[in-house]
Amino acid sequence: MAWIADASLATAVSEGGGLGLIAAMNADPEWLRTEIRLAKELTKKPFGVNIMMKSPFVDAVAQVVVEEGVQIVTTGAGNPERFMQSWLAAGIKVLPVVPSVAIARRMENYGAAAVIAEGCESGGHIGELTTMALVPLVSDAVSIPVVAAGGIADGRGVAAAFMLGAVGVQVGTRFLVANECTVHPNYKQKILNAKDIDTVATGKRLGHPVRALKNKFTEEFLKKEYDPNTSFEELEALGVGALRLAAKEGDLEQGCFIAGQSAAFVKKEQPAAQIIREMITEAENLLRGTNQWLK
Amino acid sequence: MNVFEKVAEIIANHTDTPVADITMEASFEEIGLDSLDIVDLVMAMEDTFSVKIELSQSIKKVGDLVTVIESLKQ
Repeated sequence: MAWIADASLATAVSEGGGLGLIAAMNADPEWLRTEIRLAKELTKKPFGVNIMMKSPFVDAVAQVVVEEGVQIVTTGAGNPERFMQSWLAAGIKVLPVVPSVAIARRMENYGAAAVIAEGCESGGHIGELTTMALVPLVSDAVSIPVVAAGGIADGRGVAAAFMLGAVGVQVGTRFLVANECTVHPNYKQKILNAKDIDTVATGKRLGHPVRALKNKFTEEFLKKEYDPNTSFEELEALGVGALRLAAKEGDLEQGCFIAGQSAAFVKKEQPAAQIIREMITEAENLLRGTNQWLK
Repeated sequence: MNVFEKVAEIIANHTDTPVADITMEASFEEIGLDSLDIVDLVMAMEDTFSVKIELSQSIKKVGDLVTVIESLKQ
């Protein structure tokens, strides 16, 4: 979650029993280095770094995780295979986010420790398949563990993910409103106010769609996207800096408030540890109750 | 069956494109394949030819894929 998941949120998640991630996003490598060092001071628990393959600093950031001894790397928005060898040599466990069976198989061949099968319910960069379809397909195709992502923000999603073949879940949107998440209060309020039909996918024409909460920014982007007079370059330029405007400035008009469809069932701000406890307890109770469906 | 013929057959099986329309010069974009389809195709090629194909920006046409496979098989 670019501009969102820093050392504060990542370490709160790790301390709360999850695996916190620092999102390297489009930030420069020195920002990431500082956050990794800060996270090491804040927790002795494991944490990871998410590397966004479309970042202009991707090569430098890929090197920083090696230099700083990061143990777990997740990747998103593209193919990480050119970095796999150096990460594996450094003893890093790599968990790529995958949008299809073929990419999941490929990542397994390249030595991924697990794959994160992320359905298009999720926020940010998305693929075509839903979590419901993708997770079982990927689970059948690979022999490494599968983590489910996309649309999971409560115990029901966690329980469902296990039924679909996953052994873990990745959660983004619900942590946006964690007390330890440092995004602008306007961002949190938009998540809390969101209802079922409030997210939209922009940028399909560019081949890398992004799911975000509807606002003036997404409305204007979609208008231009479907206007044949808008060039690809112009369209790409529209998105630059929009997420930072949302996360840091809380700009309700020009900001791009990435969020998953699960924003609709995120209803309160809580400490990250409480979010994790609630989700897991609810999932456990649901899984215990599954006997009701058996004769 | 040479490499090109096999590649063309696999592409035809993956798409609605008649095998006769798949030429060395045809680009994946013309055949209607996006980046996810290309990975899918490359995995099918790896399985068929028992090779490991690196994904790179230079694989844009059917001919590019054939050349890569031929060089890996030598």
